[in-house]
Parts: sequence; structure tokens; C-alpha cells
Amino acid sequence: MKPPHHFDFEEAESRMAHPGTARRLFNAMFQHPAILTLGCTLILVGTAAALVEPWLFGFAIDQAIVPKNSARLVQLAMVFLALIIIRVAATIGDAYLFEALGQAVTQDLRVAVFSRLQRLPLAFYDKNPAGRLLTRVTNDITALADIFSAGFATMVSNALLVAGVLIMLVVLSPQLGLITVSVFPLMAAATVHFSRQLARSYREARSRLSAFNAYLAENLMGMRVVHLFSRQKVHLQRLSRLNQRYADAQMSTIRTYAFLQPTITTAAGVSMALLLWFGGNDALAGRIQLGVLISFFAYTLALFRPLREIADKWNIFLSGLAAAERIFSVLDWPTEEDSTEAQATPYPDLKGHIIFDNVWFAYDDERWVLRNLSFEIPAGTRLGIVGHTGSGKTTLISLLMRFYEPQKGRILLDGKDLREYDRRRLRASLGLVQQDVFLFSGSVAENISLFSGKSDTASTTVLEKLGLSDGKLLSERGGNLSMGERQLVAFARAHESRPRIWILDEPTSSIDSESELRLERVLNAEAIGKTVIMIAHRLATTRACGQIIVLNKGQLVEAGGHAGLMSRNGLYARLFRYQQSLG
Amino acid sequence: MKRFLQDTFFLRHYLWKYRRLITIGLLTLITVDGLEIIPPIILKNAVDSITAGADASALAWLALAYIAVALCQSVCRYGWRMYLIRTSMLASRDLRDRFSRHLFGLSSSFFDRRRIGDLMLLATSDIEAVRMMIGAGILTLADALFYFLFIPVAMYLLSPELMLLAFIPLPIIPWLVMRNEKEIHLRFARVQESLSRLSALAQENLSGIRVVKGLAGEQAQLRRFRDLGEECSRLSMHLARVQTAFGPLLDFTMSMGLAFLLYFGGRRIIGGADDALTLGVFVAFQRYIQQMVWPMAAVGISLSHYRRSATSTGRLQEIFSETSDVRDVPNPIVQAARTRGCIEFRNLHFRHPGATADVLKGINLTVKPGERIAFVGMVGAGKSALLSLLPRLYPVARGTLFIDGVDINDWPLEDLRRQVGYVSQDVFLFSESVVENVAFGIQDWVERSGETSAVHEAAELAGVHEDVMGMVSSYDTRLGERGVNLSGGQKQRLTIARALARQPAILVLDDALSSVDIQTEERILKSLRERPHRNTEIIAAHRISTIQDADRIAVLEDGRIAQLGTHAELITDRSGLYWRFYEQQRLREDLERYMDLDQELS
Repeated sequence: MKPPHHFDFEEAESRMAHPGTARRLFNAMFQHPAILTLGCTLILVGTAAALVEPWLFGFAIDQAIVPKNSARLVQLAMVFLALIIIRVAATIGDAYLFEALGQAVTQDLRVAVFSRLQRLPLAFYDKNPAGRLLTRVTNDITALADIFSAGFATMVSNALLVAGVLIMLVVLSPQLGLITVSVFPLMAAATVHFSRQLARSYREARSRLSAFNAYLAENLMGMRVVHLFSRQKVHLQRLSRLNQRYADAQMSTIRTYAFLQPTITTAAGVSMALLLWFGGNDALAGRIQLGVLISFFAYTLALFRPLREIADKWNIFLSGLAAAERIFSVLDWPTEEDSTEAQATPYPDLKGHIIFDNVWFAYDDERWVLRNLSFEIPAGTRLGIVGHTGSGKTTLISLLMRFYEPQKGRILLDGKDLREYDRRRLRASLGLVQQDVFLFSGSVAENISLFSGKSDTASTTVLEKLGLSDGKLLSERGGNLSMGERQLVAFARAHESRPRIWILDEPTSSIDSESELRLERVLNAEAIGKTVIMIAHRLATTRACGQIIVLNKGQLVEAGGHAGLMSRNGLYARLFRYQQSLG
Repeated sequence: MKRFLQDTFFLRHYLWKYRRLITIGLLTLITVDGLEIIPPIILKNAVDSITAGADASALAWLALAYIAVALCQSVCRYGWRMYLIRTSMLASRDLRDRFSRHLFGLSSSFFDRRRIGDLMLLATSDIEAVRMMIGAGILTLADALFYFLFIPVAMYLLSPELMLLAFIPLPIIPWLVMRNEKEIHLRFARVQESLSRLSALAQENLSGIRVVKGLAGEQAQLRRFRDLGEECSRLSMHLARVQTAFGPLLDFTMSMGLAFLLYFGGRRIIGGADDALTLGVFVAFQRYIQQMVWPMAAVGISLSHYRRSATSTGRLQEIFSETSDVRDVPNPIVQAARTRGCIEFRNLHFRHPGATADVLKGINLTVKPGERIAFVGMVGAGKSALLSLLPRLYPVARGTLFIDGVDINDWPLEDLRRQVGYVSQDVFLFSESVVENVAFGIQDWVERSGETSAVHEAAELAGVHEDVMGMVSSYDTRLGERGVNLSGGQKQRLTIARALARQPAILVLDDALSSVDIQTEERILKSLRERPHRNTEIIAAHRISTIQDADRIAVLEDGRIAQLGTHAELITDRSGLYWRFYEQQRLREDLERYMDLDQELS
């Protein structure tokens, strides 16, 4: 079996069919049974009232106006008014409730997607740029929410209304009812036909739009080159052609729509005309009452308006469903199974004895980044890892953090295979300061507690020793801090969990010498009796480590103390001399 | 309202351009809405003839009339969709065209400032919002207005009293709209804000996922996300509270009209005081009132379209108000076909637009025709800035930079850039074929003559011809996203070939050989010396190997020229920056050789 990090979601998506999207969406709605039930009840009430209104109007004509019964008219008008109030109240209520339902479902799915993304293996993030994943949490969720706010309730009540009207017509007068709805199958067929055509031309328009966008984006990226070679005119012409092609495709969707609506109008007209002729004759002959016929007029109108609305909003529904499908597919991505406790507890009695035993690793199964790596770090000692860019230093640490799993060999921590440790608890036990410091916008204190809300005096003391104030607000990615300050914050952040083992990946690469001194002092005080692994590009940093290993292209080539390595006059000595020349 | 006028002013051009389509569209729309008057009258006549016990043929005529009206309306409905909606689509096409044309006219400093993703968002969703406003927005508004024009008149003609009755609840509507509009706008903005906060959090989290995982901070992040999401939902509901009631309340006012009609109209018929008020009129009124529900809702719809497009028009206008800081002077001096390639920097200062400090602080240097001059210096010393001024990618102060004795600002841009073959350090190739990329600057000529020898020669000079011949379909190989991926060195050499194909008098290479191996580099530099039409060469590099062969080397330090001379001269100064570069390079090469050796041994 392939390791999990070879899972490419785009590919997987095109493979997977999602027949269950609608079902899963309904399931998500059923998570809020109270709102759903109440909302549906209100829809039923509202629809019922809407159905009775036209009938009551006709009934009032037959029972009060034609027989000239004033008292009866007052009664019926009051009932009519009551019906209107009930209907409007129910409509407001169900619209609000369904909006609430939509928000609840959206929030559930949003959190579920985000939580899923937190538990995906890191290798997944290497393959899928953050921007692409972000659209799952933002755009797709918004498209889904649109289903609800565009009037899921209206759609449902419209559908109910159509069904209800059909029933009312048949109940009031079976014969007339059948005549009125005789155009219905024809219209349904036309709607289906146009919808299909519409879907086709939408797809075409979308693909042409993305061709335009791709070319525009490419030009924006290469605008300098376009200018240098004075190619603006030619490229603009091509862009304009692509734009026109898109416009043409859009045109065909408009044309289809332009056919669809008049079709409904014509059908409604024919239906009314049939009603006028047959119904009118029936009324003349006294086979039905005039009021019933008038109710029929109103019902026919009520029959076609919801259909028009449904046709108008169908598009939003389709794209919302497509988004839902993408969202649910995120929830199917395989994750790392770890503890989910809010604050991962570090392993209490970790000694910090680490053994790499013939470890091989490749990110892509082809090019080995680490080859047959074996070394041992006794508990409580300091190891320096040096090597040129791309020699595998950072990868080695990623394996120790269990960001990735080695393909061959094993890593032992206190004599136990690393795979037996829970990832989150393991990471909480290791104090990692990474090379590319990533800070979140917020205060220094928030960055250190990672927004867990707790702050303790010990970390404040550490900050003080490092010369930082915890209240300082950081802009995006800590842009308003110097690189050195950022690294100090990262250090304080790692210190937060009182790690048993310190892992420092280029901790002082861009720090000024004074801050470096401070950091060293704090680290020395902290790390007494603890294992420390230090990666450094600058060999001056690792000089003091008792043991230094030198990596070259994924292999361990030299090991020993500084003096011994220098006298070997190998890679280490050369690296050292070169770096000294840089000053 | 002021805002609305401004936005409309912004769109006037597009509306005016399609005035014919819009006029036809509006005429058909008027017809549809005008015809809406007829069906209720047909119903009235039907009901009245039934009560009067007329014969069936009258009903047949009425039925036929009904179908005729429906057909007319269908045709006109088709018409206004085709004319009005098409206009909005054409206008958005024009807007997209104008937008891209405008961007193509802006200079590098604009693109340094703006993110591509943001510009793409403008080109897509913002223009789309404007389209919706022109199309659906204006259309529904016009539709509603016409309804208001026709139907009350028809009602008045049938029965002024009943019309008044039906319209009693009407004044609530403007009040409802005005009151709601402001509140909705405010709450809508709050929802948008919280959504963008949520998106920023997710964005930060996803790009910092390594840190989050490394510190086992997933749960805390999730809690933060959940909290923000909840706030977002809460604000949405806050908006919903004013928004959801809007439509039903509009409906309510019209339905109240129906109730009034039933009671008061019914009483008048029963009283028999008014002969004109028949049961038919009553039915017609019922129908009219039902019809009025739509324009009421339409006002709400077009308001929401307007709301969405308001921000978008603002954002678009912001881009349209940007102007290029690099433009031709009104009467550029027309130059000879080829320059001699004499370049003169006279106390040249430069800072990037918007920056606070100068990158170049007084450069003085004269480059003689035919000379190869090299620039070295630390990162940030100003090499790239200096070289990017030669093709005038950024604005250059008058009187500081001359080519052939003519101020660079007096050169027509297109001529200048034909003379200066500039190759930047960030490689950009288009996702087209190799030949199209290399012939980028001479495409017209290649197309006209069908001659690709110039392309081959340029590729040969840039040392990439053999690489290309080794590709699957040689010069027709497609590059980029769906094409082959080249190595960094191959890409660099292709961009050099692209510049060489135009046979520029002055060749500017800004660290453009950094990914090319040393042997190939040596070969390229040698052949460049022998190229036809060779003139001045300006080269910036980090590697000593690239520059040691230059006629003169200028060492840049903090925006000034610190050392100037040949390699042999500079190397004698042991305290100079150049010697340090040289020594570093030597040790580095030693190290790299050892690393490769080490690798082979193990």
C-alpha cells in the first residue's frame, strides 16, 4: 500500500462519484431537528394558508356577494384577513428559521472541514498549496450557504404550493382541473429540455471564461516581459478574442433563458384560455358556481409564478450542490489519527535518548533525501547537525517530529519506536524552533500560547529575559518584527510546553549578536540535563556541541567534536573555512 | 444616492454605447408590462358576460384574445431578455477589455505593489457584480417602474374608489425600503467583515500549518476558528432579522389590499349603489393587486444587486484612476536605427516608487560603445535597480541617464526597449511553444517571412539550441503548465535567446546566468563577444566566473560604485570588497568540488 502522503485530492475527486451528496446535506440538516421541524411546520402552515386564500375569495363571492349577504361578507373578510396574517407570519418565520438552519449547517460544515484540515498529514500540504485548500473553507462554504439564503424555504414552499394547487384544482372541479393542467406535461418537458441545454452552455461558458482568466493571469505575471518586447497590442488582441469567445458562450445561455421564460408565459396563457372557454361554458350552464371559476383564475396564476421562480433560482442550487460535493469530499480525506484532547499533554518521563537506525526517506518515493542514516544521541547531550543546503538536515528533524514517516529503518526514542508515540503528545514534548518562523497576527502572548487563552508567569519571565514584551501586537506573519525578534518569539513559543527535548533548526540564523547571547543564556539555563539537537548553517553556532554530525546529500559523512573534525580536513573543515570567509 | 449617481456616471459610457439595444429592450419591456393590463380586463368581461348570461361565442373570443396577449407577451419577453440582458453582457465584455487594456498600460511599479490574485478577483467577480447590476438590477427596476405606470392607471379607469382602497397600505412600502436599506447595508458590511476575518484566520492557519502541528496547537486553532465562525453566523442572523421580513412584508401590504377589496368592494356590490362596479371589475382588481406583488419585490431585488456592485465599482474605479509613471514624452526624439551603445550615468539617484530611502545614491559612470561592463555587489546593493533603469522599467529623473548622449526620457519607449535587450533574474516564459517564446520580440518578422533562422541563431548564441533539439518536438515543444518543465538553467538561456533574437545594441543581463553551469556559461559569454551587431554589454552577477572576463568591473556598495577596474586590477586590492568576493568564491568552489567527490566515494 502506498503511504498516505501520496494522496492527491484533485485526482481523487475526479475519480470519486458522489451520489450521496444530497443525502449528506440532508443529514447535516437533520442535525438540527428542532429548527428543521419548526421550519417545515411553518412552511406547511404558510402554504396551506396560501392555498385557502383564493378559494376563500371565490367562496365569498358565491356565499356573500352574489346572494348579497353583508353579515356573511364581514365574517369571510375577517377570515381572509386572518389567513393573510397567518401566511405572512409563517413566511417570515420559516424564512428566518431556514436562514438559521443554513447558518447552523454552514458553521457545522465549516468547522468540520477546518478540523479535518488540521488533522491531515503534512505531506498533504506539500502537494496542495494553501490557497487551493482555502477555497474549501471560504468560497465553497459561501456557495453552500447561498442555497439557504437564496431561499431554500421559498423553493420548498413553491414546490409544495404547486402540488397543493394541483390538488385544489382537482378537488374543486376534477374536469376543469384536468383541463387547466393539461399543458403542464408539455411545459415540464420544455423546462427539462431547456435546463439541459442551459447546463451545457453554462459549462461551455465557464471553460471559456477560465481560458480568458488563465491568459490574463499569465500576462499579468509576465507584464514586464510584455512591456520590454512591446507586445502589448498583440496580446491585448488575443485577450480580446478570448473575451469575445466567452461573451459568445454567455450569449447562448441568455438565448436559452430567453426561450424558457416565454414558454412558461405561453403555457400559462393557453391554460387560462382553456379555463375561460370550458369553465365559462360550465358556469353559463350552471354546472359550477361563478366563485369557483374565479378561484380557478387565481389558482392558475398561482401555479405558474412558483415555477418561474424555481427556474430562476435553479442555477444557484446547482452550484451550491457542487460546492457541497467538494466540501464532503474534504471530509473523506484520510487523516492522521491522534489524540484530540484540547491541550496535548507531553510525555512526562521522557529522557531524550534518540537512535536513528538505518533510516531511509524520500518525499516522493524516488529520490532519497536521507540514505541509511544511523546515529545515536545519548540522553541529556547536545548534538549539532551541519551540512550544506539540501543535505537533509531539516528533513531529519521532520522525521523526529513525525511530520513524515521513514520508508525504511526506524527511529527509537527512549528505546521505543517513534511510531508508538501519539503524534500530538510527542510534538508537545519536543520543543521545536523552526527555520522559517511563522507568526500569527495577534499579540506576542497569543502567539506564545497559540491562542489557548492561558498565560503564565514563567513564559512572561522567559520573554523578559529575551527582551520582548508580551502585549505587542503583530501584523500578518509578524511583519512588524525583525527576523531576530521573530525567532525569539518562536523560541518562547516552543518553551511554553516545557519540552524534554529541544530541537533548534537554524535558531540564530538572522539574529543580532546581542539577542543571540540572550537566547543562548536562556537556552543554557533551560536545557540542563535535556537533549538538545541543533541544526545550523553557521558552524559557529554548533561549535560548542559535544557531538557534531555532518550530512552531505542525505548521508552521514563525518561525526565527532569540532577539533577532531577540523583536523580531519574534510567537508566540515571546508565548510568552516568557507563560512569564515563570508565574515 | 450620491454614490448611486457616481456609479451610474461610471457606467454611462457603456449604457450610451448600447443605447439602441437598450431602447429596443426597454420598448419591448414596456410592451410586456403594458399588455399586463389586458388579461384582467378579459377576465372582467368574461365574468360580466357570464353573470349577464351571454352566449358562448363571446367567451370563445375572450379566450382567443387571452392567447393572443400571452403570445405577444412571450415574444416581447424574449425580446427584452435578448436586448437588455445581452447589453449587460456586452457591457461587461467591454469592461473586461477596458480593464485589461488599462493594466497593460501600467508600469512595473504598479505590479510590484499589487498582487496578481487581487487583480484577477477584480477582473472576475467585481466585473461580474457590475454586470449583474447593469442587467438584472436596472432591468428589474425598470420593470417595476413600468408596472407602477400602467396598472394603477388601469385600476383608476375601472374604479377610482377601489384603486384608492387597494392602495391604502401602499405608503408603508417606501417607508419600509428606506428604513431597511440603511440597516441592511450596515449589517451586510459587518457580515462581510467577519467573513474576511474568518478567511484570514484560515489562510494564516493553512500557511502556518507546520507550526501549528509542530506545537500541537490544532485544537486551540480550531476553537478560534469555531468562535469566529459562530460570530459570523450570529452576524448573518442579525442581518437576516431585517432582511427576511422584507419580502413577506411587501407581500403583506399587497395582500391587505386584497382584503380591503374583498370587504369594501364586496359591500359596494351588495349595496348596488354603483352600477359600474360589477363582479367583473371586482375580479379584475383581484388580479391587478396580485400582479402588483412582483414590482414590489423587484425593488428589493434591484436594491440588493446595487448593494453588491457598489463596492465593486469603487474597486474598479480605483484601478482605472491609476496611471503609468513611465510614458513617452509628447515629442520623443526619433533615433537612428541602431545606437552606438554609449551609456552615461550622471549622478543617478533612484528610489522605488513609494519607498522612503534611495537604492542608488549618485552613480557616475560612462560605458563606451562595445564595452562589456560588469556589476557585482551584495544583495541589496542596487545592482538590479540600476539595470532595470536601462529599459526604463521605472521612472528615471531627467538629466541622469543618457544613451548616445540623449536623455533616456526623450527616447520613444518602444525604440529604447528594442535597443536595450534586458534579461531579468526572474525568469518568465509564456506557456507557448519554444519557438514562439524565443521569437517573442520578432514575431511579426517571423510570421511575415516564415523564416526561423534568426530564432535558431539566437538559441545557438544563448547555448540552448542543442537542449531544444533534444526535446520531444524540438522548437515546437510547448512550455509551461501543461507542457514540459525545463531546468532553471534552460529557462534562463531561453530568456537570453529571446532577448538576443531582437539583436539589441545593448544587452543587459541581470544575474541571468546564475543557474547555468560554469562551462556552459563560459561558452555563452565567449560567443556573445562574437555575436553579429554586438555592442555594449552590461552584466550583473554573483559569480566571479561570470564577470572576470569583463572589460571593466564596478563593485556596488550601498548604492554607490565602490571600486571600478579590470579583474586583474581589482584583485590586487586586498582590503577591497572585490577581493573578499573572490576569496569566498574560491573556497566555495573548493567546497562544492569536495562535496561532489565525497558523494561519489560513498
